[in-house]
Amino acid sequence: MPLRHLPPHRGGDPDLARLIKTEKEVEGRYTETWIIVEEDALDQWPEGPGAVVGRPARKVDGYERARGEARYTADVLLPGMLQTAVLRSPHARCRVRRIDLARASEAPGVRGVIGPGEIEWLTGEPNYEGEPVAAVAADTSAQARSAVELIEVEWEELEPLLDPEEAVRRRSFIGDVKRYERGDFERGLAEADVVVEAEYRTQTVLHNSMETHQAVCEWRGEGLDVYVSTQNIWGVRDDVAEAFDLPPDKVRVVCEYMGGGFGAKNGAGHFTYIAAELARRAGRPVRCALTRREENLVSGNRNATIQRVVAGARSDGTLTALGGEYWCSIGWEGWLPSTAGPLQMLYSCENVRTTEYPAKLNLPPMSAFRAPGFTEGAWSLECLIDKLAAALGLDPLELRRRNYADADTMDGRPYSSKNLMECYRRAEPHWNRRHEVRARSDETWKRGVGMASQTWYGGGGPPSYAWVRLGSDGRVNVVTAMQDIGTGTRTAMAQIAAEELGLAVERVEVQVGDSSRGPFATMSAGSSTLPSMGPAVRAAAADAARQLLEIAAQRFDREERVLSLQGGQIVSSDGGSWPIEEITGMLEDGQILGKGARGPNPAGMRVLTFGVQVAEVAVDVETGEVVVERVYAIHDVGRIVNPLGARSQVEGGIVQALGHTFSEARLDDPRSGTILTRTLDAYKVPTIADVPEIECEFIDVPDAHLTNLGSKGLGEPPIIPTAAAIANAIRDATGAEVTSLPISREEILRALAEARERAKDRVAAGST
Amino acid sequence: MQLVRPRSLEEAAGLLRNDSRALAGGTELVPLLRDGIVAAGTLVDVREVVPRGVEGTRIGAGTTLGELEVDPQIPEALREACRLAASPQLRNMGTIGGNLLQATRCWYWRLQFPCRLHGGDVCHARDGQHREHAIFANHFCASGHPSDVAAALVALSATVHTDRRELPVSDLYRLPTEENRDVTALEPGELILELDVRQPAASTYLKAMDRKRWSFPLVGVAAARFDDGVRLALAGVAPIPWFVTGPEAVDEATPLPGNAYKIDLARALIRRATAAVGG
Amino acid sequence: MRLRINGAAHEVEAPVGQTLAETLRGALGFTGTKVACGEGHCGACTVLIDGVPQLSCITLVHTVEDHEVTTIEGLRDHPLVDAFVRCDALQCGFCTPGQIVSASALVEANPEPTVDEIRHAMAGNLCRCGTYPRIEEAIQTWRG
Repeated sequence: MPLRHLPPHRGGDPDLARLIKTEKEVEGRYTETWIIVEEDALDQWPEGPGAVVGRPARKVDGYERARGEARYTADVLLPGMLQTAVLRSPHARCRVRRIDLARASEAPGVRGVIGPGEIEWLTGEPNYEGEPVAAVAADTSAQARSAVELIEVEWEELEPLLDPEEAVRRRSFIGDVKRYERGDFERGLAEADVVVEAEYRTQTVLHNSMETHQAVCEWRGEGLDVYVSTQNIWGVRDDVAEAFDLPPDKVRVVCEYMGGGFGAKNGAGHFTYIAAELARRAGRPVRCALTRREENLVSGNRNATIQRVVAGARSDGTLTALGGEYWCSIGWEGWLPSTAGPLQMLYSCENVRTTEYPAKLNLPPMSAFRAPGFTEGAWSLECLIDKLAAALGLDPLELRRRNYADADTMDGRPYSSKNLMECYRRAEPHWNRRHEVRARSDETWKRGVGMASQTWYGGGGPPSYAWVRLGSDGRVNVVTAMQDIGTGTRTAMAQIAAEELGLAVERVEVQVGDSSRGPFATMSAGSSTLPSMGPAVRAAAADAARQLLEIAAQRFDREERVLSLQGGQIVSSDGGSWPIEEITGMLEDGQILGKGARGPNPAGMRVLTFGVQVAEVAVDVETGEVVVERVYAIHDVGRIVNPLGARSQVEGGIVQALGHTFSEARLDDPRSGTILTRTLDAYKVPTIADVPEIECEFIDVPDAHLTNLGSKGLGEPPIIPTAAAIANAIRDATGAEVTSLPISREEILRALAEARERAKDRVAAGST
Repeated sequence: MQLVRPRSLEEAAGLLRNDSRALAGGTELVPLLRDGIVAAGTLVDVREVVPRGVEGTRIGAGTTLGELEVDPQIPEALREACRLAASPQLRNMGTIGGNLLQATRCWYWRLQFPCRLHGGDVCHARDGQHREHAIFANHFCASGHPSDVAAALVALSATVHTDRRELPVSDLYRLPTEENRDVTALEPGELILELDVRQPAASTYLKAMDRKRWSFPLVGVAAARFDDGVRLALAGVAPIPWFVTGPEAVDEATPLPGNAYKIDLARALIRRATAAVGG
Repeated sequence: MRLRINGAAHEVEAPVGQTLAETLRGALGFTGTKVACGEGHCGACTVLIDGVPQLSCITLVHTVEDHEVTTIEGLRDHPLVDAFVRCDALQCGFCTPGQIVSASALVEANPEPTVDEIRHAMAGNLCRCGTYPRIEEAIQTWRG
């Protein structure tokens, strides 16, 4: 593939090498890498809707999914396929003193049994409940389950470490304690007229994708086919290839449709390796699928946090100091998400100090969960800002505006684009409703309005590639080996290709989900799919368009520069137009093949997303029932490709946020570390009855510096500010300061009682 | 395992022996069988022999909650308890007879900790996670009784007719003890056939839960006003449906550290329910 | 045993204790019915039994002999399918067949349900992507 010129503003040197050093960001984690880049330096489309992009589009795969015809990993049925069951640790920490697999091996239907150490992912020294110890493949699931019961094992139970503060005292960490300081925090506090501090807590939250983690593995010759529910088919390819010592392309990873991921499906996982190893031994395809209960034990979580935060400000509201200490219950494995991120990045403040402790515990490992770290961190920061506003006697919206950051707070870089001030402006009418909303309160039901803002990454990055194939029927095929996890990626890609080729979206097919049938594409994580893949698809479509016009120029005897594609026609600026089939029809079995790649991110700039949410609530002050009546969301994520799908992302993020705000909590037995709420009756994700009216709006201005598309990701931003906006609305309505998620009945009744006490004290103080 | 479908009560009675279990809606029994909490050699499908439907004050035990929630003959408290119970599909499947016999949602019991209800010698919830658990009669076992419907029937002074006897619905339940860990007084093989509900002058059911729907009660309060006064019964606050005389009864609660919030909740709901029925 | 599914008769063999969902997805290949929890909590496996939404993952297959079972495959031309796609009432789509099955019974009984009626009737179908506002709109506008 020829490397093309890269303009200087995208980090390239048009005369020199195309190998550049760039920052790569996934879920807020940056790495600096050398990367080979190429890009068609297309000008961005003008702001506003085009013929297809920027207009609502129905999901191109909607019917398959709605009718139950889409084949998910859960539906893959291969001839001779075996089923598995996994023996998991019943204890949070233990040792396998003795294990005997013999009886299980001889059980009816059993075709293979593997135990501790036979693969890396089976252990004889489990460090959390549910950690895999042994696995059985059998003709049926029932046989596999029965055989697991026959594994004789003697456990030596050991004392688990479950308390994050104790872990910090013992220095039981995953990786390094993360310390950050800019300016002089102590001086900043000293300069403050008002200082507020508080401790906020968040619970362990479980992803609960409707399709559980699962894989079907089949060896074919020297190669391995892996059907897996994943957000990252290339990552699975690489990991499995390494585990089985295969050249990466000997591993084919397929994920045509997947039933949700939310960050938990970014890697291969033990179930994939178990299926692959048992398939290798049995010489038959093997499925390993987690049950719901296993899913909620071992497939990852949003880790619990304890956050002690402090803010100092001058009486005019200028922030002089922000500080935070964060205890993060990572579990036995995982990584430290940036819980301090919002406090470091959202507001202009010269003096900031944070410490984040990654507590290593005998609990199941965390994994990325929709804006990991920032969701938890925005909760504490945005509640604290309202507390500060109250202490200063300032309007919370005004306080946020006064501390607006015009350049990146960490290193002073300019933002590639930032329209948070415009978000505040558009939020204002909704914010101003609070007087009217409060006035509708009565003795029992108190009403109020709260707001919170948000920042997050979502710029995507290279490498990512796409091919566009134009056939003699004049239809277009976008081929790229990414995955559509349900966010409508296929649809957005079809729209982008259709826009570039001047076609209706119905004329575009999108083929994704197979690592052997398309070029490398980014993982579907970190709100990066659209900003990474969209520009590559557009570049590929432009390449195909250019070739089409080259042929048309010869056929119609025009100069190429006077021709363009519009509405399915080849249009000449001299007035002539011809259906594109007149050219594609000549191809017969020939094809026009366009290729495109994602260029680098703008050098020296910070690419971030922003947003504001305003919540209206009603609180029953006697029973603690909270009804969220309305959430107004406004997000700044660059160009909106599909307003219909974008609205769904915002609504979905807010609905998921309502879950961790009110009803979702993984509860662990405090002594044994057993996970108690692993079923969906006990672990309560929101139902349709819990949903408020949600109104959303987008700034919808392309990021002028970011790619040929100007779009950023939207998957994660909407979940970030909701909990704090609701908590601030509860405070507005009742004076109660909730500090722990979820805002369960016990939490709100506690906060209401505390607020009544405070009010009494004030009255008492006033009367003396 | 085998499944049999008796055509008569006599046949059913003959089939309901030691290792057999009566199966109706299956919403409780099937998951418990699959979890291995309940074992059965024979499932006796009793749907053809247990009455279904409502006639005046009589309710067939095979009537589903979904049928009851829209039946105008049913007192409001029971209708609302049905409406707010479980999920629509579960209400479509689950019968009122089965609902009365459902087991606790205590996570320790469901996860088969060797707790007192499972014959063990410790209640894991008392020192563990118990936010959804009992605030009354919780010394031996802190499980909460999850049935909204049972609380409503206790408030409504319902009578239970089995294939062997009739008894007040409150006598259907017993607190578990060292000697007997059961929470119902039903004999082995005994089948609930019908319920007779007293018609109150007014009745209501109020429920506090973690979601707006599809949640078991943190506190449920049923109130029914009769000529002789208001009867109140609570769900989710004791190992069995809990009869109380009024808000002052809540003073006798013995909450655990993690569920004292239920006291305020119960008081508020009792006051409201009493007011709602004009008590 | 004999089953009637979507109007057609099927002969299957199944051990007592097998669920309707297992039979549908396994021996019969009706994989449109999804299983997401397997214990009656999420509604993904919802099918109609004699027109009433029930949970196939906790329904023993032997108890539905002599009853009419309707799965999403029997509703593929229902106007609700169009409505769900038009209103973007699905993201990953894994819960969607169950949502449509439940919704079909609702609109059959009540062609113009109010928001409260929709919320009451659909509360047993969990959607983790959070498409509920779209589902509400799809059901309100199901006739197009």
